[in-house]
Amino acid sequence: MQNVYSVSQVNHYIKNMFTQDFMLQAISVQGEASNVKYHSSGHIYFTLKDEKGTLACVMFAGNRSGLAFRMEEGQKLIVSGTVDVYERDGKYQLYARCIELSGGGELYEKFEKLKAELLEMGMFDAGYKQPIPRYIRTLGVVTAPTGAAVRDIIRITQRRNPYVQIVLFPAVVQGENAAPSIVQGIYALEQYGVDTIIVGRGGGSLEDLWAFNERIVAEAIFNCSVPIISAVGHETDTTIADLVADLRASTPSAAAELAVFDYDQFIENCRHYSKRCLRTMKSRIELSQSRLDKYRLMLEHKSPMGRVKEQKMHALSIEERMEAAMQSRLLDARHRMELCAQRLHGLSPLGKLKGGYGYVQTADGRSLTDIGQVKAGDLVTVHLENGRLTASVLETEPEQWENGGERLPYNAEANHSEG
Amino acid sequence: MKQEQESRERELSVEEAFAQLEETVSALEDPEISLEDAFARYQEGMELLKYCNASIDKVEKSVQAISEEGELYEF
Repeated sequence: MQNVYSVSQVNHYIKNMFTQDFMLQAISVQGEASNVKYHSSGHIYFTLKDEKGTLACVMFAGNRSGLAFRMEEGQKLIVSGTVDVYERDGKYQLYARCIELSGGGELYEKFEKLKAELLEMGMFDAGYKQPIPRYIRTLGVVTAPTGAAVRDIIRITQRRNPYVQIVLFPAVVQGENAAPSIVQGIYALEQYGVDTIIVGRGGGSLEDLWAFNERIVAEAIFNCSVPIISAVGHETDTTIADLVADLRASTPSAAAELAVFDYDQFIENCRHYSKRCLRTMKSRIELSQSRLDKYRLMLEHKSPMGRVKEQKMHALSIEERMEAAMQSRLLDARHRMELCAQRLHGLSPLGKLKGGYGYVQTADGRSLTDIGQVKAGDLVTVHLENGRLTASVLETEPEQWENGGERLPYNAEANHSEG
Repeated sequence: MKQEQESRERELSVEEAFAQLEETVSALEDPEISLEDAFARYQEGMELLKYCNASIDKVEKSVQAISEEGELYEF
């Protein structure tokens, strides 16, 4: 017959086994928190679980310094402490000294591993990033057809530029089918031929976003010939897709802002260039015009026509001077003529006639100045002041006059002499 | 020749057109440029602007969705 032991003996024995186990004395266990109870004593009782099992845990009030946050149901934890047996109940449990959030635990590890691997392959290198075209006509979107992400992208796009065509691939973005669906969306839009693709979804837990950490999604983004903007979750969630994408946007709205140019701004730019073109051209024409004017003036100044004009002016002034001189000469002459006329007037034979003299003409009209011109019986004409008379010569007799002496002619009515 | 030029223009992106515009206007603003060149540049600038404007298909678009088979339908 074998030895029979008491319950407490067995429990004590097992406890000793645990205590002597080096590994169980300082162990870190990863799992999801459940049945979390904050006891009034300050102790915290909870259960760690994974897909296949559960582990009872306790953190005593004295160890609370090892917990920096409020524990909640469903959190992924890494609990460090000792696995020991509670003899009274015959149960073992984990006595926690330190509790940390695992940040997804296994998934997190997978994420870090893939990230390191892809980084090593150079898939995040800036050299592979395609520039995002600034002016697109067609925008591809790979995201869930329902939800805030697609609504935000459509709203922002239509606000910035209603002329951009959005082509949506309604993808599954969460769960098992998400990764292949996203990959298919990228291929479909690349085949269709869009200018830029936004791949993304709204925020969520690491599990929710997990598809964006899958290798096939990373490879599809990397290999896509169309530039891809990633927009996964919120600012703080960085996925593999974000790292491999050509551009990372913090949110779906931000992705739309980055992908779609502002139409009003575009028109403003066009207007600005048009104005600059016009203004510059106008000033250039004006400049040429003023240069033309300047040269025209210079040319006119230097032209032979100018000299011709100058000489014409000179000739004109000479002509004027000549005319003036001529005029004054004529005036002088007229004066002199008048003077002469007055003097002449004083010497007129008619004046003599007034003094009782007569002017005698032969019958043939010649002045009778010599008695040899006539003989007795010839007719002569005698002009007096107020008329003429015809007389007949009775006789002729020569007569000698003393020089300068004065003597009346002997036949006054028949002769005339001025001496 | 003309066809070649047209196809080249068609390939020009708006971004490239803007870059060329910037270059053209800068050249136009150079006080050393001859009047003939200025006219040529001006014309070029106006053509580019026309091109920029024309390359925007100014019809408001409705959102389309694409199926796995690549078929489009109204979203």
